[in-house]
Amino acid sequence: MSGQARALIDSMAKEFATAATALSFDEAFTLHHRAVFRTARSVVRDSALAEDVTQEVFLRLYRNLDSTPGDDLLRPWLLRVTLNVARNTLRGQSRSMARDDEYHKTTTTESWFPAPEEDYERRLAIEEARRALDKIKEPMRSCLMLKQQGLSYREIADTLALKETNVGSLVARGRKEFARVYGKIGR
Amino acid sequence: MRECLDEGILQSYFDGELSRDQMESATSHLASCSICSATARELEGELNLVSTALSHEFDAPVPTESLRARIDAAIAGAQLTNGNRAAVDSPVRGWWQSLSALFAFTPQQSFGYAALVVVLAFAAIFGILQLRKTTPTQSPDYVANSNSDKPAIPSGNGSERNEVALAPKTSDAGIATPAPPKAIRQTVSRKVRQVRPKAADVNDVNSEVAEVKLLPGERSYLQTIAALDSTIKGKGNRPMTPALQAEYERNLALVDRALAATRSAAKKNPNDPEAVEFMFTAYENKVSLLNAVADARVYNRQQ
Repeated sequence: MSGQARALIDSMAKEFATAATALSFDEAFTLHHRAVFRTARSVVRDSALAEDVTQEVFLRLYRNLDSTPGDDLLRPWLLRVTLNVARNTLRGQSRSMARDDEYHKTTTTESWFPAPEEDYERRLAIEEARRALDKIKEPMRSCLMLKQQGLSYREIADTLALKETNVGSLVARGRKEFARVYGKIGR
Repeated sequence: MRECLDEGILQSYFDGELSRDQMESATSHLASCSICSATARELEGELNLVSTALSHEFDAPVPTESLRARIDAAIAGAQLTNGNRAAVDSPVRGWWQSLSALFAFTPQQSFGYAALVVVLAFAAIFGILQLRKTTPTQSPDYVANSNSDKPAIPSGNGSERNEVALAPKTSDAGIATPAPPKAIRQTVSRKVRQVRPKAADVNDVNSEVAEVKLLPGERSYLQTIAALDSTIKGKGNRPMTPALQAEYERNLALVDRALAATRSAAKKNPNDPEAVEFMFTAYENKVSLLNAVADARVYNRQQ
């Protein structure tokens, strides 16, 4: 009985949260656009592409306002969509790189670096961190990045469709691997 | 806590993801276990390294205003596109909506459709059961019905009555009307004699069965059966031994029962090819039985 009651309460809470979300697209943007943009940029490694991804994610939110979860579950939903859209964008990029000429390839590679206004040391640090991140396997890599953005284990589990009890170990393994690889790169 | 903390628990400890009990337990263990406290210090160092290394990535400025403007424009564009598409698609959409309206049930309609579905399901199950009831042990509906109001049929057991029912059917075909089975009646056992209808009875049954519509293809079977029947009952035949006669009657009754059941099913489901096929199979069984007996009779006569 208690399980049914809890399920009922959960569904009611979800509906309520959904209604609340439907009313506050602006609020959702204000609260979550940074996390979406940063997550997108950590995958596509390009500010302009990350903007494209962010736009697509919020358009999807706008189109599915009635069916998206609210409150605590909204950020995991947004970041899950972000990771999907960003990975699809990257695949599209790699296909176009394979198709197009060398000029396109070099310009795309260059755009993975930070914007020109960032100083050399900063660019170098970011590049090293990205190279270390590239060495970490999924889902440890995503766990580590989402944890770094301040997501709770529950949110990480929701975003990546993992068991919440496994997130601690995955973050730990990702962190360990990052420290090992980053130490080697830094030397 | 005696056991050392695994790296997942330690990570959760630093991330503040442990429950209060787990947190207290982990804290007391770290205070007492030098190995775990050393691991925890190492982990803390790695955490600092990671957050410093990734801080550049995640602390980079976010173009909030630019994003806001892009998304507003994209939403406006999407609304515009949707509006145009709705205008272009309106005939198609209208058609779809009219189609989908068929499936938009009110509660009353839902109950109505549900009841209809249940009735159809029961009808289907009943029909299938009827088709399956082709085993000879089942009582034949058709024969029972056709026999029920025959006034002059002598009382006998069910199997004998069945045969009586089919015998007139052969004359119903209008061809090769069998001779009244007097010859046999004089020679066979008393039991069988009871079964044989008088000529007047046959006429009654004929008029009754004549009302029954024949299914296509049935007529030729009835002709064959009538011919075989007359061969078996021919006057030149020597009488069967009582045991053989009883065996023949029993087999014939079985075949007739199957025939009556399948015929009844085929009548009820004239459009079901399987039902009709079952009936014809029953006819073939009867024909082959009669054939075998007729062959034996003809052979005996020649002897």
